[in-house]
Amino acid sequence: MNEILGTIIAPDTVDILIKYGINILIILLKIAAVIAVALLHVAYATYWERKVIGHMQVRLGPIEVGWHGLLQPIADGVKLFFKEDIIPANADKPLFYLAPVIFFVSALTSLAVLPFFEGFVVANINIGLLFLFAMSSLGAYGIIVAGWSSNSKYAFLGGLRSASQVISYEIAMGLSLVGVMLMAGSLNLSDIVRAQHQYPTGMYAIPQFLGFFVFVVAAFAETNRLPFDLPEAESELVAGYFTEYSSFRFAMFFLGEYTGMLIMSSISAICFLGGWTIPKFITDAIPFLLNVPGIVWFLIKVYAFMFFYYWVRATLPRYRYDQLMAIGWKILIPLALLNIVITGLVKILVKG
Amino acid sequence: MTAGKFIRTIFFIEILQGMALTLRTMFTPAVTRRYPKVKRPVQPGFRGLHALAKNEEGKMKCVGCGLCGAYCPSQCIHIYTTEGEDHNKVVDRYEVEVLRCVYCGFCVEACPFGAISLSEHYEYSGYSREEFYMTKDMLLANWDKYFTGKKGERYYKDFWGPKSEDFHGYEGQAMFKGIKNEK
Repeated sequence: MNEILGTIIAPDTVDILIKYGINILIILLKIAAVIAVALLHVAYATYWERKVIGHMQVRLGPIEVGWHGLLQPIADGVKLFFKEDIIPANADKPLFYLAPVIFFVSALTSLAVLPFFEGFVVANINIGLLFLFAMSSLGAYGIIVAGWSSNSKYAFLGGLRSASQVISYEIAMGLSLVGVMLMAGSLNLSDIVRAQHQYPTGMYAIPQFLGFFVFVVAAFAETNRLPFDLPEAESELVAGYFTEYSSFRFAMFFLGEYTGMLIMSSISAICFLGGWTIPKFITDAIPFLLNVPGIVWFLIKVYAFMFFYYWVRATLPRYRYDQLMAIGWKILIPLALLNIVITGLVKILVKG
Repeated sequence: MTAGKFIRTIFFIEILQGMALTLRTMFTPAVTRRYPKVKRPVQPGFRGLHALAKNEEGKMKCVGCGLCGAYCPSQCIHIYTTEGEDHNKVVDRYEVEVLRCVYCGFCVEACPFGAISLSEHYEYSGYSREEFYMTKDMLLANWDKYFTGKKGERYYKDFWGPKSEDFHGYEGQAMFKGIKNEK
């Protein structure tokens, strides 16, 4: 093989090409693993949510399909796949086709920069955090385009609400993470986790409690979850921006939404809760815990945050729209700015 | 805004109380009854599907007087009689439109012979209206199905037998003093 190629291209170039090929192969395998695991998590996140909310409302949740309803997500997926795909007669067809793809792809792309454990990240880029913001903003385009192209009042209102909500809370979320960036001195998510591990408390959630609070509220609004699920408020807007979608196009919105939740949970785990590490004082006290692989700590943190999502959903009612905007602009953004000022001042004073 | 209220607001005391409540509720047993597997126990005197009573010889008790049909508020009982041998009344057709019935039980109260009764059976379904148009044969078959055996006999005796024949209360029945369990 090499000899045949060598007659055409220089042997050095062949080596470089093979190296590139292997690199690309490894990256592709990583992508496949991440997407497969993430989608499985997303499928079972729906099951888990229904179980948790069911028990919080003194119901059982899904229980008939398989042992304790464990096959319910698979049954749902099969059902959605075989449903009739309805497109409204007056819909803007190209945009109608495109919207769920934008939403789903932007959600999945965010997975690329998340470090799941030491050294495992699909794309180790230096602007990881900015990339996540960019992708979550891009997802809003999917929502707006879906609302616009459906040619339906409900979908349109849902899309508009989502646009203003996501833009408002994007600012608060970005500002809340500036404190973390200042403390870690990097936008690379792996570096943030490493810097956190060096920090005495091991988690930025403790010194950055203000930022963490703003981030949690903004993450709920950003993923359109209760108590900020106005874009898809069932009692007002049928289903909001995906009212006219059916079959697998609907499933793509659904998967995108849950992937968004997974990503927000991962960001909070990485930026505030220490990612794949646990605080040093714990490992000093119990050295045995050093043997536990990092992915376990990461997943525990992510699951805890997901549980918090469901818990809040089962507890709180929906906010009114003007209240939502008031919280975003009048409380969260000033709080986040205050957090940046305090963090910056403390950093200067400690260094100086 | 007082200091206490201010502290309650900024620390979300009320939201935290609500979340504590939902978390506590999560660990209480669910109240769901998984219906086809676990059936709801029927209360005493439940009024379900109709049946026409038979006497000891296995013949229909109904004499065709038509009181039940006259009394029925939803007018869903249709009785057709002819004159038979020896000038006695013969019940040709006795039909109940089950889908129109409101299960008030007035037909049972009106009947002087305890000929119609309501069973404990409530799980019936079908694909056409005809299946719920109970003819005489179907109603007699219901009797064989739901009022034979010890449980069915007991149920009929306690609730649907004519009070003029055999008046007594069932166990645990709320009644005026002095009447309970008198024969």
